[in-house]
Amino acid sequence: MASSFVAVFEIASFAAIIVLVVLGLGIIASMMGIFNFAQGEFVLLGAYITYLASSHGIPVWIGMAAAPFLVGALGFVLEALIIRRFYAAPIVAMLGTYALSLIIREIVRGLIGGLYLSVPEPIGGSIDIGSVHVSAWRFVIIVVTIAVMIGCYLLLARTSFGLRVRATLENPALARASGISTARIYGATFAFGAALAGLAGALVVPVFSLFADLGIRFLIQGFVAVMVGGVGSFMGPVAGAAVIGTMSAALPWVMAPVIADVLVFVLAIAFIKFRPQGLLSGKGV
Amino acid sequence: MSEFPGDLSRRRFLSGFAFTAGAIATGVGSWVIRPDWANAAEGPIKLGIATDLTGPIGYAGNADANTAKMVVKQLNDAGGLLGRPIELYIEDTASNESVAVGNVRKLIQRDKVDMVLGGITSSMRNAIKDPIVARGKTLYIYPQLYEGKECTPYLFCTGPTPAQQCDEFIPWLIKNGGKKFALPSANYVWPHVLNEYARKVIEASGGEVVFEEYYPLDQVDFSATVNRIVSNKVDVVFNTVIPPGVGPFFKQLYEAGFQKNGGRLACVYYDENTLNINQAAEIEGLASCLDYFKVLTKDDPVSAKIQAAYEKDYPGNFLFAAGSAATGTYRGLMLWAAAVKEAGKVDRESVAAALDHAKITEGPGGPAEMVPGKRHCKMKMYTAVAKSGNYEIVARSEGLVDPKEC
Repeated sequence: MASSFVAVFEIASFAAIIVLVVLGLGIIASMMGIFNFAQGEFVLLGAYITYLASSHGIPVWIGMAAAPFLVGALGFVLEALIIRRFYAAPIVAMLGTYALSLIIREIVRGLIGGLYLSVPEPIGGSIDIGSVHVSAWRFVIIVVTIAVMIGCYLLLARTSFGLRVRATLENPALARASGISTARIYGATFAFGAALAGLAGALVVPVFSLFADLGIRFLIQGFVAVMVGGVGSFMGPVAGAAVIGTMSAALPWVMAPVIADVLVFVLAIAFIKFRPQGLLSGKGV
Repeated sequence: MSEFPGDLSRRRFLSGFAFTAGAIATGVGSWVIRPDWANAAEGPIKLGIATDLTGPIGYAGNADANTAKMVVKQLNDAGGLLGRPIELYIEDTASNESVAVGNVRKLIQRDKVDMVLGGITSSMRNAIKDPIVARGKTLYIYPQLYEGKECTPYLFCTGPTPAQQCDEFIPWLIKNGGKKFALPSANYVWPHVLNEYARKVIEASGGEVVFEEYYPLDQVDFSATVNRIVSNKVDVVFNTVIPPGVGPFFKQLYEAGFQKNGGRLACVYYDENTLNINQAAEIEGLASCLDYFKVLTKDDPVSAKIQAAYEKDYPGNFLFAAGSAATGTYRGLMLWAAAVKEAGKVDRESVAAALDHAKITEGPGGPAEMVPGKRHCKMKMYTAVAKSGNYEIVARSEGLVDPKEC
């Protein structure tokens, strides 16, 4: 009983981490039609900012709070300087964002000397329920992920900003004719997606420690999640991330981890073959 | 052809372009460090270093290259070898085997070095040993701790082997941890072969292996493993999971209360670099067994001198540590220097014959000597335990430990 409770908690916490990382990726892919290969490096930057704060003696949670704003601001600048030029050519956009990701990753690798560095969590230790110990910080991550997910949903479904974002996605020409500045909407959406990645990086860095390849570790899983969930809506990638995260964490409990790792991708490919539109297809939120 | 050198003809442009392109293609990632004196008729002795200056283990490769620069500078300041200065050629193996083979060929064919030292991972050693030893007909020294069983002629290993890391360490773990071992491991050659040896020693010493399991190299969630360790009441986790997985793994073990309930962490590649992956509390009591720890500088003046010289020349992120092969690099170069002095020449046969029984009295962690006919190195071994972010030596070998290879 205790053991199965731990199992459920651990699987849920890993799924929450994947959802958190995929949120920004999914929003940019679904709302802008851009597959952002630099998303992993936005996660890395969020982690790096948190590390910088803690290594300079600033409380970690301040670094965590600052990370999404700083990474979001960087995303806004990069959109205006670089990404904007690629909207007409999504394939070229992939290469462009891939180049961007290499540049960011190698700069961070240089800054941290290629090492693996620990970052303390603001709320450490474990929550003890009888003989069962669960990580306090993983519990925080689950709570924050749920809050951010609901927040994003409300923003896109219930605010006029969300309406404009969806209008811009659906029919850019009509949106412009209706007086919506699509360029500004794209900039804001990209910045928002980058900010979510920054937040994800800040929250997961105490769990995984800081290293230059932190971002690409999740990028492949992120894209598989977007594929499984379906591009074009907010809920699709989130559902896909929940499925991929749960499978990645749950399968090693019942089989050899080396097989589980491959099986997740095999199942995902088979699923996409039979349902190419993804779990949740169609436009909307 | 034009008679004026400044006049640009199509042909001249093309030949110039080809030269530039060639220079760009061959020049990147190569460094030559020339001695500041050269009075020998035969010219300098050429020493090649091929190591991972870039890529995920760049921190280790840079430490090895720095160590080589330090050793070569010391040798040159002391008059070089056989009256000739040493010229150092450094190539980047870039944590990428196909790039590495190309760059190592440059050392052999273009620079015609007399010896190559380098490679950190076993896959790198396997990729570059053939271009060096077989086709290149050059001497090769491999400096990193590894899984053993490398018995290629003209290939000398100066890092610790499984026997050196397990024979005294595992009985210590059974005494200071318990009898039930778990072997969680990354799925590549080093853990597989090391575990095979460790299992034998564990069983011969009266312990038992509760489970041995392999994970993908980039796995970062270990909840299933941690649960198995806790529910099987494992006493000692003999870990060969590597970064990036090892940080989250140790953290999850700590959060599950493994150490609090009396468990002992053990990891034989843990050195000063890897201490920073986790917060100090998470790896409190972790035991490691290596040929050198920085804390030895407190009571070993030779180690203190080497460590101080390294830190003076190369302060910063690239630490002089055993797990990065920096100590193996130091040992390998000094043994080679001793062999060249004894042989009196630098051709492969003579140096290999002398290196076969070479000895040094001073090195990081103590003296070292090659085991004749085995091409592996006897050295002192130390068991250390992590205490609030630093190591404390808890056991040391009586004398030099035999590598038991080949």
